[in-house]
Amino acid sequence: MVDLSQYLPILIFLGIALALSSLFVFLPMGVSRLTGTHNPDAEKLSEYECGFPAFEDPRSQFDVRFYLVAILFIIFDLEAAFLFPWAVSLDMTGWPGWITMMVFLGELAIGLAYAWKKGALEWE
Amino acid sequence: MEFAQSLRLILPEEILSIGGLVLLLAAAWLGDKASRAISIASVALLVAAAAVTVPTLSGGAMGPDTQAFLGQFRADAFAAYAKLLIYVSGAAALMIAPRFFEQFRAMRAEYPVLLVFAVLGTGIMVSAGDLMTLYIGLEMNSLAAYVLASFLRVDNRSAEAGLKYFVLGALASGILLYGMSLTYGFTGTTSFAGIHAALTGQLSTGALFGVILVLAGLAFKISAVPFHMWTPDVYEGAPTPVTMFFSTAPKVAAIALTMRVALEAFGNQADAWRQVVVFAALASIVVGALGAIGQSNIKRLLAYSSINNVGFILVGLATATQAGASAMLVYLAIYVMMSIGSFVAVLMLRDAESNQIESIASMAGLSRTRPLLGWCLLVMMLSLAGIPPLFGFWGKLVVFRAAVDADMIALATLAIVGSVISAYYYLMVCKTMFFDEPADQVKGASDWAHWALLLIATLFNSPLGYLLTGWFDNLAGKASAALFLAA
Amino acid sequence: MHPILIIVFAPLAAAIIGGLGNKALGSTVVKSITTGALFLSCALSWPIFLGFLGESYTPTVVPVLQWVQSGSLSFDWALRVDTLTAVMLVVITTVSALVHLYSWGYMDEDPDQPRFFAYLSLFTFAMLMLVTADNLVQMFFGWEGVGLASYLLIGFWFRKPSANKAAIKAFVVNRVGDLGFMLGIFGTYLVFGTVSIPEILAAAPGMAGSTIGFLGYRVDTMDVLCILLFIGAMGKSAQLGLHTWLPDAMEGPTPVSALIHAATMVTAGVFMVCRLSPMFETAPIALMFVTFIGAATCLFAATVGTTQWDIKRVIAYSTCSQLGYMFFAAGVGAYNAAMFHLFTHAFFKALLFLGAGSVIHAMHHEQDMRYYGGLRKRIPLTFWAMMAGTLAITGVGIYEVGGFAGYHSKDAILEVSWARGTEISHFAFWLGAFAALLTSFYSWRLIFLTFFGKPRWAESEHIQHAVHDAHGHADSEHDNPPAQEDAGHDVAHHVPHSDHGDGTAGYHPHESPLTMLIPLGVLSLGAVFAGYLFNPQFLNSEGFWKGAIFFNENLMHAMHAVPLWVKLTATVVMLIGFGIAWLGYIRDTGMPERAARQLGPVYSFLFNKWYFDELYHFLFVRPAFWLGRKFWKVGDQGIIDRFGPDGAARVVALGSVGNTRVQSGYLTTYALWMLVGVVGAITWVLF
Repeated sequence: MVDLSQYLPILIFLGIALALSSLFVFLPMGVSRLTGTHNPDAEKLSEYECGFPAFEDPRSQFDVRFYLVAILFIIFDLEAAFLFPWAVSLDMTGWPGWITMMVFLGELAIGLAYAWKKGALEWE
Repeated sequence: MEFAQSLRLILPEEILSIGGLVLLLAAAWLGDKASRAISIASVALLVAAAAVTVPTLSGGAMGPDTQAFLGQFRADAFAAYAKLLIYVSGAAALMIAPRFFEQFRAMRAEYPVLLVFAVLGTGIMVSAGDLMTLYIGLEMNSLAAYVLASFLRVDNRSAEAGLKYFVLGALASGILLYGMSLTYGFTGTTSFAGIHAALTGQLSTGALFGVILVLAGLAFKISAVPFHMWTPDVYEGAPTPVTMFFSTAPKVAAIALTMRVALEAFGNQADAWRQVVVFAALASIVVGALGAIGQSNIKRLLAYSSINNVGFILVGLATATQAGASAMLVYLAIYVMMSIGSFVAVLMLRDAESNQIESIASMAGLSRTRPLLGWCLLVMMLSLAGIPPLFGFWGKLVVFRAAVDADMIALATLAIVGSVISAYYYLMVCKTMFFDEPADQVKGASDWAHWALLLIATLFNSPLGYLLTGWFDNLAGKASAALFLAA
Repeated sequence: MHPILIIVFAPLAAAIIGGLGNKALGSTVVKSITTGALFLSCALSWPIFLGFLGESYTPTVVPVLQWVQSGSLSFDWALRVDTLTAVMLVVITTVSALVHLYSWGYMDEDPDQPRFFAYLSLFTFAMLMLVTADNLVQMFFGWEGVGLASYLLIGFWFRKPSANKAAIKAFVVNRVGDLGFMLGIFGTYLVFGTVSIPEILAAAPGMAGSTIGFLGYRVDTMDVLCILLFIGAMGKSAQLGLHTWLPDAMEGPTPVSALIHAATMVTAGVFMVCRLSPMFETAPIALMFVTFIGAATCLFAATVGTTQWDIKRVIAYSTCSQLGYMFFAAGVGAYNAAMFHLFTHAFFKALLFLGAGSVIHAMHHEQDMRYYGGLRKRIPLTFWAMMAGTLAITGVGIYEVGGFAGYHSKDAILEVSWARGTEISHFAFWLGAFAALLTSFYSWRLIFLTFFGKPRWAESEHIQHAVHDAHGHADSEHDNPPAQEDAGHDVAHHVPHSDHGDGTAGYHPHESPLTMLIPLGVLSLGAVFAGYLFNPQFLNSEGFWKGAIFFNENLMHAMHAVPLWVKLTATVVMLIGFGIAWLGYIRDTGMPERAARQLGPVYSFLFNKWYFDELYHFLFVRPAFWLGRKFWKVGDQGIIDRFGPDGAARVVALGSVGNTRVQSGYLTTYALWMLVGVVGAITWVLF
């Protein structure tokens, strides 16, 4: 017989998670009904997810420029993500650390310049 | 001072990266008109990097002095040997490209730049002394390669090749990363030396998963069976100069990297991975041979041929001895020249409207309509088949000898049987060229760069190649000594 | 440098140059080189022979190259020169040189002359290697070399199916003999521990009477070895049982028949027995076997020779018969007599063949004697040469005075076989005497049919073609002048008649060119004088032989002491044979046909060569074909191919198809296989 006692914390965690999520769903619904602002229409009842309709043909085409912007965003987002740990540990890495990061930033700048020159930043 | 020393050791990479960035800006500002000039500049970069690398190899550099950035990067003779092969392949891919893309009006200034970055990535791969470096190099090469594969955007097959390569490459990267994280988790380090020290004695199950997954991820790059399936599709779809590049530089890098990982990092656990490598070797030989037989497209056939050749190279790895490693390096050099020669020859097959000819049937009677081209291809095919007077035989011989010396006679025997099967389709190509009625389709002229590369490769693979055996044995010996110093 | 090196290797060099040069050098150059080389060899050979005759030359061995050094087996390429070799040298080089010269004329119209001359020279080289061999392996090299050359030359006109068949037959039948020879060599090495001939001969007497296990029986060592070696000789020298290839070998060009199938190669067996004579002397049963086979062949071939119509076949059976004489001479211990007959026979038989060639040449390739007749006046020089040969082979001579070549050598053989005094030797004597009668009969029959009587050419298809062609050419002379030359000189210069009642069909034979007549003349001299001149040395002089063969002094004395009737027997039977031939073919030309009808079964038995070919076909060829077909259909195709190459190919093809199926082109499939690979690898390593 497997000793299941180790899994008790997980069970407790699952229980808490279930309780919290139920709370988040049902609390607003309950409050709205109690306060009398319950006034549903089609827009309010539709699902919401980051700007696109949630249910439609996944094979539909959409503009590649979204991706271009997204990729550029990710690159500079990651740059920022690198900068934080670098900044807090600069006293330990010293000049080599500083030089390395400058090289990295320089490379990104060149990439940005290339993208700019190629017109990747222009929507039209 | 350690930092400055490290910067000195990565000089070839510095040349390539700074030069590549400058050329990138040049490409942006000068436009596609300058693509020929940028190609020439890229070749110059590779030559410069090679010139800096040569002393490392000829000096047989090894040991602590060759370690940069606290052992994350190795600039030893082994890396230098692989890098020189990579630079040769890269330069060849640059030289043959302009003429090829111009006929589609698709020559763009980004091609040489991407190629330089791909070469840079492969260079970092072979110098990796740490799982992190390994991954950076691998991805740097891969990202450039995905773009290169679909460089001929107007061609559906090229786009398909790029996409397939990308998706499967991502999957392989995932497997590799999973393996690396497991390895790190069970050894507490990402450096090869540290892993080597940690993995002694009985291997824990988790570490075993790590070892196998890392090797599986690398097997994708060298297209060993069963991670080979992308190869025929990508090789067929990608533009021919790119295919030539894929079959040489990344393969050299991945094999060198696999050697370093298997023999150094996992060197203490050779018994754990040997069976897998033996299986992959034999499966690659057999699948490469069987797959090629049914092909009617010469590029697809050469793709299977490269799978087949990887199998023979892995036979050397299975021995896990220094002699085996040395044999692999010799084989690699010969393989690179055979690949360059055969793909350049394929590139030169063009019809009257200067469209590429890729079907084997169209090559019928080539020996009569284009005798020199026919004879060069004959040398390539027979050399690939490992038929004695040609240099390809030497590569197979040293690998089999290493296997026999390591008492792996059954493996060597099976590999020889496989090479007999593979001889069939090479000979079939020769028969088509020499004995069939001329199809008389090959018309187009080729420029001097193609002829020069083809003739050099032909001379290298002709019996004259045997003049180089002493030289190669010496260099491969130095390189493998550097590899085994750490192991 | 010892002249023997030039003698042996000049023909080889000529063969290589001629064979490789072939078209590039052109036929005249090749012909000059090969013929020149042979005359050089010949010129160098005679001084050696004369040196031995004058007893001023000592036997010597000239080393050439180290050959095999393997454990206890060690031997070199070395050329042995002693009396026996010297005799063979002059025979081979002289006949070969003359045949080369003769071929200039005979093969004049052949488009492939360089190949022919290269083969001839190659043959000569191999034959010289055989006779100069110092060890059995080198002898075997020469043995196989002449076999190869013989095969190539019999099949020289390879577009003719019959020539191909004859070549293959000669090769296959010789293999049977060669198997015996090889077993003999192996056995000799087993027993003596060496293949060096002098060492074997020195050790042979010590081995006499010892026994060895063979096929499960204890048998006398030396008898077994000698019989095995003799089986090799039987194959090469076409002795009864293994003779069937020789008549068919006449498919080759006539100069080849003269050189290989009369004068030299077929005598290799006799040479080998003589070379190993001290060994054979220790094997009494083997000697009886040799005597019996020799005598039987002698009679058999002579009887068949009496009934054949093809001029070359008659001479071929005659050769077979004469070889029988040589063997039974050796069998009774008179090796010198055997060698003497070999020597004289080479001259007169080569002469007969070349003469026949000259006749055939004149008669536009007609070989059937029924369509000859009356040629004496037309080609007188050929006639006289053939006469010389016939006088020699039938042994015409006068007691106590001397005679033609065959008189001395054949009579000596008959006398010595009587003198030997054993049962088997008397048997051989009677058979030999009767064969001599038959020899005389068929030889004169040949002469009478060919040169005497009325022309009977009209019915010959060859002649009709020749005449027809000549008409055609005469008509089209103005339209097509080069065709006139192509027709060849044998028809080009006669004027066609419209009506001929004389059996000539308007055909005019003409004498052969000088290149063919000179060899005939030289060989005629040999046929006339060789016996008389060399008689004393060959038969009586131990000093001449110098131990090269086993020389039985007592036997030679006994030979001279045989009764007078024995000495006269040969001459008497010769006269009887001549008489019968004269009666049948000059006086009453209807007689032979009546006799053939009366003796119906006997005649067809002889005419069909004792049904040997039919018997062999039934006993060996058909079973061999059956077995071969079984091996081919069941063994090779059914088992080896099916599970070997074909099976492997099928597996490969299936694997290829399977791989194509897996390689679907779908990303999902590829990814699935990668994951299967990972899981598989882990599972494998874990367990």
